[in-house]
Amino acid sequence: MSARYGMVIDLDRCTGCGSCMVACAAEHNVPALPQATARTGLTPMLVRKVSNGREGADRREVFIPIMCMHCEHDTPCVKVCPQQAVEVDKDTGIVMQMPQRCLGCRYCMTACPYHARYFNWWDPAWSPGMEKSLNPGVAARMRGVVEKCNLCHARLHAAKEKAAMAGKREIDPADYIPACVEACPTGAIRFGNLADANDAVSKEARSPDAFRLLARLGTAPELYYKSKESWVRALADASSGGTPEVQHG
Amino acid sequence: MKVTRRDLLVWSAGAAAGLMVTPAPWKILDDVSIWSQNWPWIPQPAHGPVEVRQSFCTLCPNGCGLRVRIAAGWPVGVAGMKTHPVTRGALCPLGFGAHQLNWHPQRLRNVQHHGKTSSWRDAQAAFAKARNEGSVVVVDGYPGRAASAVLQRFARKQGGSYRVVASAESRALAPYESWSGLPSSDLGYDLENAQTIVSFGAPMLDGWGTPGRFTQLWAERAAGISDPELRLIQIEPSLSRSAARAWKWIAIREGSESALAAGLARVLLEQKLVPAHGPVPALTIAEAAKQTGLSADAICDLARSLVARPPVLAIARDRDPAVAALNVVLGSVGARGGIIRRGHKTETYLSADTEISNARAVLIDSSVPWNFVPQTEGETFRFAAWGGGSTKADWLLPAFGFLEELTDVPTPPTSAIEIYAVAPALAKPTTDVRSAAQFLAALDADVSSPEKIIHGRCAELFRARQGTLDAQESIHIEKIPSLAKFEEQLWSGAVWVGEPSPVGGLHCELKSWPASAPPAPRENWASDWPAPVLPPLASKLYRESNLREAPERSKV
Repeated sequence: MSARYGMVIDLDRCTGCGSCMVACAAEHNVPALPQATARTGLTPMLVRKVSNGREGADRREVFIPIMCMHCEHDTPCVKVCPQQAVEVDKDTGIVMQMPQRCLGCRYCMTACPYHARYFNWWDPAWSPGMEKSLNPGVAARMRGVVEKCNLCHARLHAAKEKAAMAGKREIDPADYIPACVEACPTGAIRFGNLADANDAVSKEARSPDAFRLLARLGTAPELYYKSKESWVRALADASSGGTPEVQHG
Repeated sequence: MKVTRRDLLVWSAGAAAGLMVTPAPWKILDDVSIWSQNWPWIPQPAHGPVEVRQSFCTLCPNGCGLRVRIAAGWPVGVAGMKTHPVTRGALCPLGFGAHQLNWHPQRLRNVQHHGKTSSWRDAQAAFAKARNEGSVVVVDGYPGRAASAVLQRFARKQGGSYRVVASAESRALAPYESWSGLPSSDLGYDLENAQTIVSFGAPMLDGWGTPGRFTQLWAERAAGISDPELRLIQIEPSLSRSAARAWKWIAIREGSESALAAGLARVLLEQKLVPAHGPVPALTIAEAAKQTGLSADAICDLARSLVARPPVLAIARDRDPAVAALNVVLGSVGARGGIIRRGHKTETYLSADTEISNARAVLIDSSVPWNFVPQTEGETFRFAAWGGGSTKADWLLPAFGFLEELTDVPTPPTSAIEIYAVAPALAKPTTDVRSAAQFLAALDADVSSPEKIIHGRCAELFRARQGTLDAQESIHIEKIPSLAKFEEQLWSGAVWVGEPSPVGGLHCELKSWPASAPPAPRENWASDWPAPVLPPLASKLYRESNLREAPERSKV
């Protein structure tokens, strides 16, 4: 049976600690290069701070983890890629990026409405010896290609391998948990199969507080957000809402 | 056949046109792209058998439980231990990149004397000479470990003193020590049973205490709920992470926390909102309002909302006797959901923050934060795994890094229950390192090794037959057949958890309202790190995003 993996991120629970960002970078062997900045760094998971634009005691802030939304319909990055380096995996719903095919034209970065794609400007480099601490399940990041969240695809592979070794066709959901979900100390990031109506995450995605970013574009992201705050929900369609203050990472 | 110039032009044009419709140029372009991205000098992950081991983070005294993925003999990933009774799988953001710290460019790799490379032999000879000439003071940043016992015994035997650099959380418990006569190291916060927590600037949702303990309580009982079961009231001048997520944020003037605590106590006592009787602060409500920038009505409303949902617990960011006194007035000392006594220790530690006079030598353990500078004229021997910039230490001695040393994990400073665990060494030291305990044991054969002390402590716990051993499931210690089995489980990541202490046994006598303390400097988010060296990936948090301010480098 095909799955449709997705997430629900409860913004009322996110404290902006950044554990998800560090765990994601460690999982994917992203180097911490001294020349990388907020504009040029590789941050497949980026937590942004957003406020309601007011000052003093009325000011409110929320942290929004932004990553590839894994759009289901008319996936913008897939449409523009001249190399077929991006495709939607029909068995999982994951938007896959194949760095070996990527020529680094960055059309996909321009097309992505969520700014969730990053160009890898430099060869990976670590202090002498530090390469021993790299995750063996993931390759070192390649220079000159576009990178993004792949929902920890290496973990999905490992879970499939484990299931195959046990003679099972389906993976155990407990074996496939992305690094950011595992790292979140408040359980704000939840992961599950949206195609399964009984899955807890699937149910949460259908709750009244759940919303998608820029839903009006019709790309049907597999990432849902949740908040009880109306001003936060208004951010979902930023161009038609107010003018909240977003501090870009 | 004669080849004309025209033929050459036709062939060239044909070849060029033909080439465009073959896959060859595209394939070559693609291959060149792949080759240039995979040059042999680009580091590749080491491959080998992968296993997952359990251990504990010892970079700060909170001892979070870790699941460490090891490949080819090296830690390659860190995640939280879900079965840990306090952290329940949570880690601070720095913990997730800590396995890269051992190769940090600022790792201390050799003994240094006044900035010049020296040797262990010279360092030992210099320390032995100093010991013979005068008294020795040993400074520890993580008391309660087996290694701490070694340091303590050595200092006592030499007629010197053992001092401790306490964390801000431990310093906040210090006032109760003088009022109750019990050591602050035996006191903890019963967060789990509190219903209202009023934080006077303590970063409750940003790494306060054991990361994960309060954040998970808050996530379960308060996050996103308009009338939550657990009310967090954050009193802070600016909208911090904790203030942004708190049930109520009260913005006051910088440094006026003590005045607000006094004002609240006055309202509580004058309006008889609490049954306790205590000394009434001299500060009037109007004066408290003036100092804090709040209105008198706002202070009265806040006092009423404190008592609206008991038990209520006031938590100071650092040492603040007025906030501690507010807890006494609220009846939250020695009570469920308040400040409780968690064990039966009787030992108090001398603080290392005061002047260390008449010491010939001061030995500083690697657990002491790098930015600690002892106030002494003595010769300083500083153990550290990472150097954080300039230092006033005479000797710099390279210590064990992350997960390179067997150590035990005592109860974290703010915990409400006693715990004990053993963190096995999971990584090979990458340079010639020694711990302060090993250094002292080499000078004095009578000083026991930390490993022997750990075995002794395990035997003591096993003989007492109290508490449980928490691993995949919680087992009462009486059901564990032998000491060997108990030790085996502890060595593989299980945690011993003591019996919950009965409420009571802690009583504070407050004769007069305490004088207000000068406001403690607000610490940078990274300054509690043992050295101001962060895992390289922490740059994602401050340089490659705007999530946090860049850490300050050592001001030493």
